[in-house]
Amino acid sequence: MFKAIRLLNGLYDKGTLKKIDFLKSIRLFEGIKKRDLIHILENLQERTYLKGETIFTQGDIGRALFIVFSGKIALSRLDRETGHSEIIAEVQPGEFFGEMALLEEMPRTATVYALEETRVFMLFKIKLETLLFARPRIGVIIATQLAKIMSARLRAVLEKV
Amino acid sequence: MSTETPVKRNYREFIIPVLIVLGFSYLAILAKGAVFPFVLSAALAYILNPVINYFEVRGIKRLYAVIGLYLTVGALIFIIVYLLFHFLSFEIESLQQSWPSYADRIQQFVLNLNAKLVKNHPFMAGLKLTEKFAYALEAVPRLLLTLLPALTLLFVVPFITFFILLGGSDILDYLLDHVPSRHAEIILHIASRIDASLGNYLRGVITEAFIIFLIAFIGLILMDLNYSAFIAILIGFSSLVPYAGAFVGVVVSSIVAYLQFGKMLPIIQLLIFFTGIRFVDDWFLQPYIMKKAVKLNPAIILFALLAGWELAGIWGVIFSIPVTCIIKEVIQIGVELQETEFRWKPKPEPTRISIPYT
Repeated sequence: MFKAIRLLNGLYDKGTLKKIDFLKSIRLFEGIKKRDLIHILENLQERTYLKGETIFTQGDIGRALFIVFSGKIALSRLDRETGHSEIIAEVQPGEFFGEMALLEEMPRTATVYALEETRVFMLFKIKLETLLFARPRIGVIIATQLAKIMSARLRAVLEKV
Repeated sequence: MSTETPVKRNYREFIIPVLIVLGFSYLAILAKGAVFPFVLSAALAYILNPVINYFEVRGIKRLYAVIGLYLTVGALIFIIVYLLFHFLSFEIESLQQSWPSYADRIQQFVLNLNAKLVKNHPFMAGLKLTEKFAYALEAVPRLLLTLLPALTLLFVVPFITFFILLGGSDILDYLLDHVPSRHAEIILHIASRIDASLGNYLRGVITEAFIIFLIAFIGLILMDLNYSAFIAILIGFSSLVPYAGAFVGVVVSSIVAYLQFGKMLPIIQLLIFFTGIRFVDDWFLQPYIMKKAVKLNPAIILFALLAGWELAGIWGVIFSIPVTCIIKEVIQIGVELQETEFRWKPKPEPTRISIPYT
């Protein structure tokens, strides 16, 4: 009996199950059922960035949203008047950035680089569009969450001003 | 403050990658015969990969998913081949028995046709149609023998595909992890778009071919045509090449119908049937199945097929449309990049709303 359970356990890739659990903790995917998160994982790209590597630069055209799986990322913005760039935020595992690229293919507003070896998931605009049309149930939740997050970020900016 | 320092570009950094690429390209040209099964295996692995991914994202280890797929497909092929032989052995037996009379009738038909043509148009005698036909009949067994080496592909390709599937995207991941990090996003964006359009095309064309096979099989059986299973399989496979399915269907089944019935009526029925299949394909199957695939103009499809034939014969024809899909997507991406990255067009205006956030 135990042997059979061990054999069945051997069939499963713990890494993939960990990734699904990780996606469940992401705010953008809040409210999506665990079995539906599988479809999101199918559409994500993974890549590791070494410490100091630039992920994108201010002014680049954005095409993907980045979710930090492990490691740490810095967002810096160049002040055109002083010519200095300043770190405006640090992104920890479970957080994401670059969501504007999912809505408009516009230039990035910050430069992003890895503060340590970092593994990220990327969600490309074209993959999100596929998800929105092929699985509207998931698409509606992501679109709603995206709108809430954008609203919260806008409110934060206004409160700062 | 950012720790970034501007990197000075030095063209010497590209020497090693360029040398590696050139070396591999030269090796591939030298051993192009050996490369071909790998190209075929890579194509098959690309088609099968979504099935493996389906299980992988559900937590099943890749190794077990690949073994499971091979066992399932193996069992399915065994059952299909067994059933087909059950059908076909009867058909092959009947073909064996009736072949001498069929061959006589074909020969007689050609002789009569030639005699009529020569009588009405004497210059046709110079074309020596009967001699050419006899030569073609003799050449058929030789042509079949040349196809034998292709049978080895049936064993080699699944073997190589197994290991490509096991490796998964390891090679691509390795390459991606080593391209300059700043360009990873754009490279993955290009790869995603090519993958989306090519994947949609392949999935569409395979589904379409299977449905055409089913319609042809049922229709031919209802018409009581001999060798309907064999002809339907032929139509199914040739449907993978645009326009070829209905054409092959009309030609092969008309010959069989002529030999079987010796009348024009069944041939006309078959012509109507295959015209119907063509319309069903154009009006119902393609708009639904291929709606997400790359749209190609019929003239471009024809050009691609001819170019494929010119470059690599029958395999060139089979690969021509997927390759055209890739080329079309690459051109589209290239134009978009020229417009956005190199500022060929003014920057797009962001969406602006006059009413402030409340």
